[in-house]
Amino acid sequence: MKTVWLLLGNDARRLRRSPLLLAAFVVYPLVIALLVGLVVRYAGERPRVGLVDRAGLPRTIVIGERDFDLKRLFEEAAEVELVRMSEERAALELETGRVLAVLTVPKDFSVKLRRLSESPQLVLRTSEGALGSRVAEKMSALVYAVNLKLQKAYIEANLGYVDLLRRGGSGQIGRERLTVIGLRRAREELEALAGSRDPEVAEPARELATFLRQVEGAVGQVGDFLRATANPIELRTETRAGRTWALSAQVQAYALALALAFLALLLGASAITAEREERTVSRLVRGLVSLSSLVAEKVVLVAVVGTVVAAVLSCGFGLVVETAGVSGGQPWERLPLLLAGLAVAAASFGALGVLAGTLARNSGTAMLLALLVGLPLALAGIVPAGASAPTDLLRAVVPFAAAVELASAALYDQEPWATVAEEVARLLVLTLVFAAFARLTVRRLLT
Amino acid sequence: MLLAARGVERRFGRRVALAPTDLELRGSELVALVGPNGAGKSTLLALLAGALPPSGGRVEQSEPAALVGWVPQRPAVYGHLSAWENLLLFASLQHLERPEAAARAILELMGLPDGSQRTAELSVGNQQRLNLGVGLLGDPDVLLLDEPTASLDPSSRRRLFEFLRERQERGCAALVATHVVEEVMGLASKAVVLVEGSVVHVGPPDQAAAAISELEAT
Repeated sequence: MKTVWLLLGNDARRLRRSPLLLAAFVVYPLVIALLVGLVVRYAGERPRVGLVDRAGLPRTIVIGERDFDLKRLFEEAAEVELVRMSEERAALELETGRVLAVLTVPKDFSVKLRRLSESPQLVLRTSEGALGSRVAEKMSALVYAVNLKLQKAYIEANLGYVDLLRRGGSGQIGRERLTVIGLRRAREELEALAGSRDPEVAEPARELATFLRQVEGAVGQVGDFLRATANPIELRTETRAGRTWALSAQVQAYALALALAFLALLLGASAITAEREERTVSRLVRGLVSLSSLVAEKVVLVAVVGTVVAAVLSCGFGLVVETAGVSGGQPWERLPLLLAGLAVAAASFGALGVLAGTLARNSGTAMLLALLVGLPLALAGIVPAGASAPTDLLRAVVPFAAAVELASAALYDQEPWATVAEEVARLLVLTLVFAAFARLTVRRLLT
Repeated sequence: MLLAARGVERRFGRRVALAPTDLELRGSELVALVGPNGAGKSTLLALLAGALPPSGGRVEQSEPAALVGWVPQRPAVYGHLSAWENLLLFASLQHLERPEAAARAILELMGLPDGSQRTAELSVGNQQRLNLGVGLLGDPDVLLLDEPTASLDPSSRRRLFEFLRERQERGCAALVATHVVEEVMGLASKAVVLVEGSVVHVGPPDQAAAAISELEAT
């Protein structure tokens, strides 16, 4: 045990005397984390969708007496980026993945929309897999939003007709232009007749006038009824000072895991290969330190350094959150739980880094190998679970996804214990497996 | 016998670095290990030192086991540490009773700088002296020296041989790998000539030089 402490002290001194290297270990993954965070934030936000307009959508269509800017409604949709293109180009771009889906507006779309004798249809063709279904969800949201606006326009048009019936006058209902007396004037004239001395005229006129007053009152409420039945539940969006995306739970967890992954992989790989490059490993194995202890010492080193760096990064995030007055604040009381979990994650990445180092043997190759391993791990961590079998396998056998889940749960779950315990157990198993493989291959450093 | 190789061999993949070899080191004995580059001298020393596991055969030690000091050909020390820190670290790892005193003694014996200057920044000669010093920590009974005079100036060489003679008189054994057999002619009692991983000659050092010349001629 004493020898492990001595070697840990030696490696700590190596890091302290190479501040630039240590800074690079921390800054580099953090920059990558922020860049990937940006990509994650914006790449999935507005998927590119081809728009094939067979109907030749007019700039506006008239619904009731109101001009409706249908083209702008589609093209300025927040949900997707609609790019107008020919049918052939759309097919090609869908095939090559440059667009994630193609939305086709059939020829009879505008006519059906004006007549409303039957619902006009839009046709969406998507690519296969998770991204296709994501685009379908986004398009459903877009069609819902357009429907909502059209619905309002139709309701306003219908209410115009109702108003014409109430007040009377000239107007158009459908294609027919007509002049009507209106409920109000009909009632007023009947009320005048109700004052007649002829009881045979006055009595029915009074009854009809009463009826028309009731109808007038009921028709007056049609607008509210129509609006209420069209939108039984309405979502009102309020903008308030929430967490910015850069400080969101997901991005914090992702940035921590990514920074830790790169730091630990590179440090683990370089720490073990440094022993070979300085030829000290040959001295150490002469009964001074067992190969198992050497591997364990490097894993512990990475776990300790990783925890310190994770603490610094978490405090940095926390300070920004507090300074910016972000709502919710930083959950400082969760920091010990987060760091305990991340120490295990760092050990797991470290063991993988040490394994990479023992396989590569020299530091240059080991660093390259660690980077080559690290990048796919990070990218696989972004892909949602269940997206594909290979990425699911990667998520299961490497520590990245577990580290993200752990950090996210430790920081923001209401009841984090079960998730943290599950992920820590998973990371411990991975640490032991990687360390066991590293112990098998560490002899390669002696030759 | 303090240390012995019994049919020790080492292969790297299909390449034989050292064919099965027997060698014994006794007290007060200095053996010169002579041969051209790539002959297997460093491999044999590393095997005897326990720095490399043998592919076959075994390394035997006396009872109780003699303390073996190993000085590899190229410095095997930490570049980020000073000479003093290196000596102290290896003395501590060896669990010497008084690591600071042992490190201080070697620092003075080797005439190494006692500052905070990192080993990587030391001259090649000083790095080699530190390498030698680490091998001498703990006052070993057997010294395995791989080209110890490489990178040493003439006065350091002279001091090294004086030191070896003194150790020899105190009953220590040494196996010294060298290209230049004449270097250890006065000290060595025996020379072992290795060529392409095999022992081709064992005998007095003066005959070793002749054996090598003969081999070079053929």
